[in-house]
Amino acid sequence: MSVFITSTGAFLPGPPVANDEMEALLGYIDGKKSRLKNRILKSNGIKTRHYAIDKDHNTTHSNADMGVEAAKQCIQRASLPMNKIGMLSCATTQGDMVIPGFGSMVQAGLGIPGVELHTSHGICSSSAMAIKSAVNNLRVGDQQSALVVTSELASRLFKHTRYEAAGGFDAIDFNAEFLRWMLSDGAGAMLLETQARGRCLRVDWVRSFSHADAYPVCMGIGSPSDKTDTRTWQDYSTYAEAEAAGALLIRQDVRLLENIVKLGVDGALRLIEEGVLDVDKIDHLLCHYSSHHFKGKIYEMLKMAGAVVPEEKWYSNLYTRGNTGCASIVIMLDEFLQEGRAQPGDTILLMIPESGRFNNAYVHLTMVEH
Amino acid sequence: MSEPVQLRHPDVLTPLGQQTLRRLIRVWFDFERRLSRVPIINRLDVGSFTIEDYRNLLLNLRPQVIEGGRWISRCASSFDREHADVRSVVISHAKDEHRDYEVLDKDYVAAGGKLDAIQRQPRNSGTEALHAFLMYRASQPNPSDLMGAMWIIEGLGEKMANDWADRIDELTNGSGSYTRFMRYHGDNDNAHMDKLYGLIDRICTDDKVADDIVRTARVVSRLYAMQLEEIDHADE
Repeated sequence: MSVFITSTGAFLPGPPVANDEMEALLGYIDGKKSRLKNRILKSNGIKTRHYAIDKDHNTTHSNADMGVEAAKQCIQRASLPMNKIGMLSCATTQGDMVIPGFGSMVQAGLGIPGVELHTSHGICSSSAMAIKSAVNNLRVGDQQSALVVTSELASRLFKHTRYEAAGGFDAIDFNAEFLRWMLSDGAGAMLLETQARGRCLRVDWVRSFSHADAYPVCMGIGSPSDKTDTRTWQDYSTYAEAEAAGALLIRQDVRLLENIVKLGVDGALRLIEEGVLDVDKIDHLLCHYSSHHFKGKIYEMLKMAGAVVPEEKWYSNLYTRGNTGCASIVIMLDEFLQEGRAQPGDTILLMIPESGRFNNAYVHLTMVEH
Repeated sequence: MSEPVQLRHPDVLTPLGQQTLRRLIRVWFDFERRLSRVPIINRLDVGSFTIEDYRNLLLNLRPQVIEGGRWISRCASSFDREHADVRSVVISHAKDEHRDYEVLDKDYVAAGGKLDAIQRQPRNSGTEALHAFLMYRASQPNPSDLMGAMWIIEGLGEKMANDWADRIDELTNGSGSYTRFMRYHGDNDNAHMDKLYGLIDRICTDDKVADDIVRTARVVSRLYAMQLEEIDHADE
């Protein structure tokens, strides 16, 4: 049975925040200006992003609120009423609540009765997992429609007070500060149906390859600053102790991060060898590269492997919408569709290389007209 | 930020050459994952690598480095007159590398090791297997498949220079004074990789040769990883 993306929606909280405004909003750690900010922003190429916290660090929208707003926009554009949705499949890196699952909170916000629920947990690629669960659910015939909701609220991790509680300005190294200048907030949603409607996207396949067996954690929250300490955050007597040890900071191992390029290309080459991916037939490539720095590297390596999609076929809104983790690819697809860039018959490849512990996901879509 | 292995795109590739290059890239990625699972390399990744680890690494690399000159020379001599151009490239490669071990020895001493110890170091089990395989293939007529071996070994040279050397100095508080072999080897290997690319079209004339190149690359990658795994098995 075929599955179609019949509608999409997105929500970005508050006004766009420019590079020269973000540190004032997130706060100066111990009152001092970051020494790394400009270097990291130059590398990632992001010009504006959105935050769901204000300058006083009040949360303006919860993570679930943003998911709900994106879902409402998606459903407003669709011909299916909210209460007819069969499945709700959600993804986030970190919900507002530790438990229950993020999907429960989104369902409550949307008021969908008796829905079949799924929450996938991970980082950027968790959206692909949520999409795949929904697609498969529809394919086996259990449901006729599924709403996928992806949302991220990273900015709460970046308040200056978080870093001050973990030792302050002098204790924060590059890896602990890196993501402060990379990630921001937002949500995306898509409606999947077994029935094509108007111009919509047929989901041809969703595939992913994980390499956690070969590599250490590259991006995470839960390990302390002291690398020789193998405890994770709940192993401490109190959460205050865990925070003081830096175990609640979000970190990126920037050295390991370079593997993302090779592994992202590796997955594409596997799919080419399997015969499911033909790069010459891709009309649009939407790649969730976390940083402009990696775009060039992925492009060059694909080119060397003879598997490149020409640069004019690449689309990204990273530079204006920011890196919103798992929501990025859905926010990107939504803007791409709203701009009317695809025509019936066009093929679209979504590529989501995740650095958490290296999971790379790929989604192949074809625009059809019903 | 460390730089990843710099792979450059060759100017001209036939469809078979391009397909072979793509397969070799896959073998390389698989090799890198295999390396990351090797205990001593995992310690480099997670940051628990010590100066003793480094001395052990050099001790166990040296026998293969010193034998490297032999198999490449034999490989060159196994190409007949129809392959004189390939032979020239392989000879220049052999000439560049056949005394690399002298730099390695100096690094070992600078890292606190005894010259006598590294000079007496026998081949570990992985090195035995790797050396035997390379010498066997190099003794075959026109051993074009050894391009796959060079792909792995030269690629690793680049990885040592661009990734391992800085990381080793960072974790052992080194100043670069004992990572010269890795750095210098990598500089040379950049030029070697370019020459290798130049050979792909020349050598990949049919599917069998292409398959042989990929198979040899795969075997060498497995045996090289085994050589590094043996570092942690030496006392068993």
